[in-house]
Amino acid sequence: MKPVEIVLIYQSLLGIYGDRGNAMVLRKRLQWRGIDAVLTEVEPGDAVPADGAVYLLGGGEDAAQVSAVKGLKTDGHIFDAVEGGAVLFSVCAGFQIVGNTFTVGEHDEVIEGLGLLDVDTRRGDVRAVGEILSTWTKPDGTETLITGFENHGGFTTLGPAAKPLAKVEIGIGNANDATEGAVQGKVIGTYPHGPVLARNPELADHLLELALGHELAPLPNPELDELRRQRIAFVRKHGRG
Amino acid sequence: MAVLTTKATPAAISVVDRFRLSTAIFAGNAAALASRLAGKGSGASVRGQIITRLVPDAFSLLLQGRRVLSVSGTNGKTTTTHLLAAALRSGLGTDANRLVTNADGANLHYGIASALSQSRRADIAVLETDERVVSDMIAKARPELLVLLNFSRDQLDRHHEIKALGRSWRKALEAAGHDGPVIVANACDPLVVWSAGTAAKVIWVETDTVWHADGALCPACGELLIRIPAAGRDRWDCPGCELTQPAASYRVDGGTIVLPDGSAVSPNLQVPGSFNVSNAACALAAAVEFGVDVADALAGMHTVTAPAGRFATARFGETDARLLLAKNPAGWAEALPLAQSDPVVLAIDSVAADGKDVSWLWDVDYEQLAGRTVICTGPRAHDLAVRLAYAEVDHRIEGDLKAAIVGSGSAAVDVIATYTPFQAFLKMAGLR
Ligand SMILES: [Zn+2]
Repeated sequence: MKPVEIVLIYQSLLGIYGDRGNAMVLRKRLQWRGIDAVLTEVEPGDAVPADGAVYLLGGGEDAAQVSAVKGLKTDGHIFDAVEGGAVLFSVCAGFQIVGNTFTVGEHDEVIEGLGLLDVDTRRGDVRAVGEILSTWTKPDGTETLITGFENHGGFTTLGPAAKPLAKVEIGIGNANDATEGAVQGKVIGTYPHGPVLARNPELADHLLELALGHELAPLPNPELDELRRQRIAFVRKHGRG
Repeated sequence: MAVLTTKATPAAISVVDRFRLSTAIFAGNAAALASRLAGKGSGASVRGQIITRLVPDAFSLLLQGRRVLSVSGTNGKTTTTHLLAAALRSGLGTDANRLVTNADGANLHYGIASALSQSRRADIAVLETDERVVSDMIAKARPELLVLLNFSRDQLDRHHEIKALGRSWRKALEAAGHDGPVIVANACDPLVVWSAGTAAKVIWVETDTVWHADGALCPACGELLIRIPAAGRDRWDCPGCELTQPAASYRVDGGTIVLPDGSAVSPNLQVPGSFNVSNAACALAAAVEFGVDVADALAGMHTVTAPAGRFATARFGETDARLLLAKNPAGWAEALPLAQSDPVVLAIDSVAADGKDVSWLWDVDYEQLAGRTVICTGPRAHDLAVRLAYAEVDHRIEGDLKAAIVGSGSAAVDVIATYTPFQAFLKMAGLR
């Protein structure tokens, strides 16, 4: 069987918040379950594979966002991949460029995104910087907390085709409107770093289950449980920190 | 080139201002002493705060009448400042007391004012300067020399855009024009080169930079930079505009520094790591530009052992711990290869001085520690533990900093810490 391919896109542009970690987490969680997995790193100018299982985009600055959109549109394969049912998980600046439009620079120049998520991002009235805690309702209807650290100046509003990923308990999230992230088919965007999949293993496994089409057994890790307990306790006691 | 023996133009400070300053420094010293007696550290920052509260323009006034050399960049500021100060002292010989420096690493307005207030007659100031203070330093101190080491991601919860600081430097250098400082700068760092681009004169140094992750895009035009293979090390170039790696006057080659005349000298440093050879090359270039002989400068730099506690060895219980500071991914990339002990102690915190977001742990190649045991400590020990679990590196957690070292069961350990636990270790060891 072909190994499950995790595609990490443009780390030199969109990877300033430890975003590589999301890819490392996905690969290890497959390997630890005895599932063959491969991590493919794509830099601008490289061809993006069209048949990957999970594609990842991370955080970066304005100029990097513009450059990444240009590169991905020129290459084009990411659109085929999503069309073909691949999972696309995007964080922060990555979340913004996956949407319809976002803005860059002091004069808020509007840039066309990839249009894979029905969201639009504009400069917010505050910069969202700090710990964030939200509640994610999983596909089976149960709830779990998502913990992370957000750091973004853009506020994102959802169009009718996208649904929020989670409900904010503490933090700013999409636009200080209690919603966090967006889901549209197998395209997911979210703001928290941490990296978010390192701090939220259930979300990591959800992405893998979406990609594989079947459920995965849990991977107990007491240190990770303790880390989550600490971060959740911290944000509930100190707010955004 | 400057002449070392040239005396600074005396400050034109009015008698009234002199008196106000003296009174403020007296009050600041009293506050610093109280802070020290209360065990709250050196008191440098408190002194600076009190002085500035009483005399709001103390920073400017205290800089007057001095020939200023300023050192900035994301990593290596403290060590380079020590190396440069030692090189100058060596050149000054019996006049070494002409020099004042903020040796404690307090590099914001308060810290600088505090250091200057303690040596009012010293007319040469070697000042470690936080990246955010550089533009003010250029405007107010008219430094003769400014050393720009490197620029990389650091505390992104505060500095949202790495380029923003460079933009402020460009503006300040442009405003200073021909009256501005001679820059000694790292030619391998595109952001540094762009930031220094408006300076009247630059002496370029080709360094052993290991961290390139923040130099993907041209800071001038946003194009993707390319790397041109070259004998020695690759050069960077922008295909979209004229920004390109400048030809260097000084060059780090292995453990040696190649001088403008092509001869190579061994810096023979007591501080470890190839990154410190790069720091020494910048310090040497600055010292020579300031009129110090190469031999004098090297002799001075050789005396530097543990700048503000960095690389110091201290005893905790039965264990000798070598203390390394790493504040960001570039710093960890430099420090990790130095830490060869097994076990090794890594201490992580996330208060304001460390950066509140520890996502950067995933930018660090902890995989290189495989086969050894890591003792994770500090308030964010669990974040590190999870990172190490994914790196498949053996580890255990010991929340208490001192217990992490004492309980290592080792005669000697290397310790790498972020800013806050590093300062705590120094304090426990009586080194600050
Ligand atoms: Zn360019």
